[in-house]
Amino acid sequence: MDDLTAKLKEKLIEILNLTDVTPDEIDENAQLVGGELGIDSIDVLEMVVMVEKDYGVVINNKEIGEKVFSTLAALSNYISENSPNLSS
Amino acid sequence: MNSTKVYISGLGILSALGNDIKATEQALRENRSGISPLQLFPVQQQSPLPTAEVTNLTSTSLPRTHTLALAAAKQAMSCSPAPPDAVILGTTTGGILTTEQQLAAGEKNPDKYKYHGLSTVAQTVAEQYECTGKAFTVSTACSSGAVALTLAMRMLQAGEVTTVLAGGVDSLCYLTYYGFHSLQLVDQEGSKPFDIKRQGMSVGEGSALLLLTTDRPEKPLAELSGAGLSCDAYHAAAPHPEGAGAYLAMHDALQDGQLSTEDIDYINLHGTGTPDNDLAESKAIRRLFPTPPPLSSVKGATGHSLAASGAIEAAIATIAIQSGLLPANTGLQQTDPELHLQPLIQAKEQPVAAVLSNSFGFGGNNASLLLTKADLFPAPAHTASKSDGLTILGKSCITGAGKLAESMASLLQNKKTGGQLSTKEISATLPGKNIRRLKRYSRLALALANDAFTDSGTKQTPENIFMGTGWGALSETYDFLKKLRETNEQFPSPIDFVGSVHNSAAGQIAILFNAQGANITSSGGDYSFEQALNTAESMLSNSSPAAFVLSVDEGHPEFSTLFDPSIEQAAELADGGGCFHLTREQIAGKVQMHSLCYQHKATADNFKKIAGNYDLILAGIPAAYREEGEQQLTDCLQEMENKPPVLRYRELTGEFASASAVAAVMAVHLLEQEQPLYPLENKRILLLGLGNTLCATSFSIL
Repeated sequence: MDDLTAKLKEKLIEILNLTDVTPDEIDENAQLVGGELGIDSIDVLEMVVMVEKDYGVVINNKEIGEKVFSTLAALSNYISENSPNLSS
Repeated sequence: MNSTKVYISGLGILSALGNDIKATEQALRENRSGISPLQLFPVQQQSPLPTAEVTNLTSTSLPRTHTLALAAAKQAMSCSPAPPDAVILGTTTGGILTTEQQLAAGEKNPDKYKYHGLSTVAQTVAEQYECTGKAFTVSTACSSGAVALTLAMRMLQAGEVTTVLAGGVDSLCYLTYYGFHSLQLVDQEGSKPFDIKRQGMSVGEGSALLLLTTDRPEKPLAELSGAGLSCDAYHAAAPHPEGAGAYLAMHDALQDGQLSTEDIDYINLHGTGTPDNDLAESKAIRRLFPTPPPLSSVKGATGHSLAASGAIEAAIATIAIQSGLLPANTGLQQTDPELHLQPLIQAKEQPVAAVLSNSFGFGGNNASLLLTKADLFPAPAHTASKSDGLTILGKSCITGAGKLAESMASLLQNKKTGGQLSTKEISATLPGKNIRRLKRYSRLALALANDAFTDSGTKQTPENIFMGTGWGALSETYDFLKKLRETNEQFPSPIDFVGSVHNSAAGQIAILFNAQGANITSSGGDYSFEQALNTAESMLSNSSPAAFVLSVDEGHPEFSTLFDPSIEQAAELADGGGCFHLTREQIAGKVQMHSLCYQHKATADNFKKIAGNYDLILAGIPAAYREEGEQQLTDCLQEMENKPPVLRYRELTGEFASASAVAAVMAVHLLEQEQPLYPLENKRILLLGLGNTLCATSFSIL
């Protein structure tokens, strides 16, 4: 697991107030929305805000959104491919 | 059985389409849209989003929502010299635009925020038209205007009042402009409901007020002849995917007005233009109507004026009936084939006898209104008499001292319960997955409902929810606006926006209990509990299932001292509330609660009406109205032969708007005691709300 994925797990717990979950318990390859974490469409929008604010990546298209938020690993990939803030 | 017609005798309307009926009708005839890029306030985006703004509004010293309401009231009251018996307004924004501007300027003087509260809008209108009776505020997000009209209709049908000025109003503000944007529910090109390319709504503003009367006016404009309310109990913001609640509301409105689907000539759709709403609504329509009549959403023209929209569309339905004009679904170019509906592409002229008008909102709050041509259909028969009062099955309360047991133990020993219970203690009995996104206000409400249900020991789950709150979700509102400012208007939290509406808490209770009946949040400042109780008494019939009546307020370190004039700057915050699980059914040995009076301006007659033999008076005198309150108490006691002891309960509970709900729980608790603390000769306790309103509630044993 790369640093970005690890960081995203922490951020998810924080912004979605997943107080009963530790980063280790989040499987980055598991279904993210509608999965075990109980994440729904409003949570996705909260993540959209975080992704734009912290990584400069805009997600405002439903089709792209569905792909990007399918798993945490997919989100991590999409950010690393598109973020101007992660040019390394 | 009783049959009472509710006539519309006056109408006032302001929207992006124009500032009176004539201008509105003209715009509808021309299929013209009022949507254009925001101009009302500066935004830091490069290109402002399309909105639906009221133009050429003569400003007043009051916030914009109040100004919009007064302008509509002036039109609606133009032919009626007599004051209305009641004013009932739906609003979600209150004075928020002014508040946002004051906050941005760093204004710390509470006086500058005195019109922040939702209840001040109805009060301002009531004062302008010398209404001394009920000045009520309904806040159920985007269905507020329609729900306010429904409540007015029930009060008129019950014979409680003869004339009511009712409707809805909201102004554009940063909260709604950026809130819907953060939810990605705004169409960048302007709203085009039911179009294949629809991307969302255009946030708008406006006001519409209807003067309703059971005295047949010389020239009635139309009749309000039915209404249906429901709650999806599904999600905080998204509609039920099959439109289950929408179907229920429309079905109930037809049943209420005793008309069939074939009688409907036109359906005014909620049709916000969001992909999900239009899909869910079309499913509900097709399920109810084998062959739907002509239909359209006007929100491509008026934008979505939120709390005003239900009333604006009731006014447009009245225009449709008066002028034989079916408005177009403005903005629609290519209908989405998935919806299997064909809204009107152009305005159409044909006689209209009956209109169904839909309004749905956050919290899954649905309302459908039925408007008909005057004197065409027979008056629907309604069950005449209602038993007086509501029977308490269970109760709960939260104060700084703790929950029910701790709070009552303190109060009965004359000890203070002020302060705030920790969020952890409040949430202890709540299911974790339901509360993850909830802040203090919603958690308080959910815990109270849960505890009251447990206390009742019954399996009779409540279907209807009547909730009061003076100030609503202060934490979410504060956090949303703070993040908005701190990020140069870029990154406010969508979760905070969804939670910021006053009815977010009642929506959560509905989800927890799968309560799909009427779900009404009222806001009446320090008298919010009493408003919720009055609303419940007006809405619940003898055959209604069980309900929750509760009132909740959270103390917020920044906002409470700015907004609530009774809270001193340095004072320790107090908060909490009380909840009852109750029924219309009369049950021997149980405590019954009944509102005796709710008057915006007290008169000598009111004190006579309240008088009786009580064992105790629980007097609620908010610190900001101490002088008036004490005078009213003296006047009230003068009418009483026995002089019962008076407990000024705010001295113990601390100052917060829902303190009267705690006092109500105390009254019930005292009457239920086997070893009463006070001698209970009459087995009756009186709860008084005093100050800038007079309200009285009696508690007695059946």
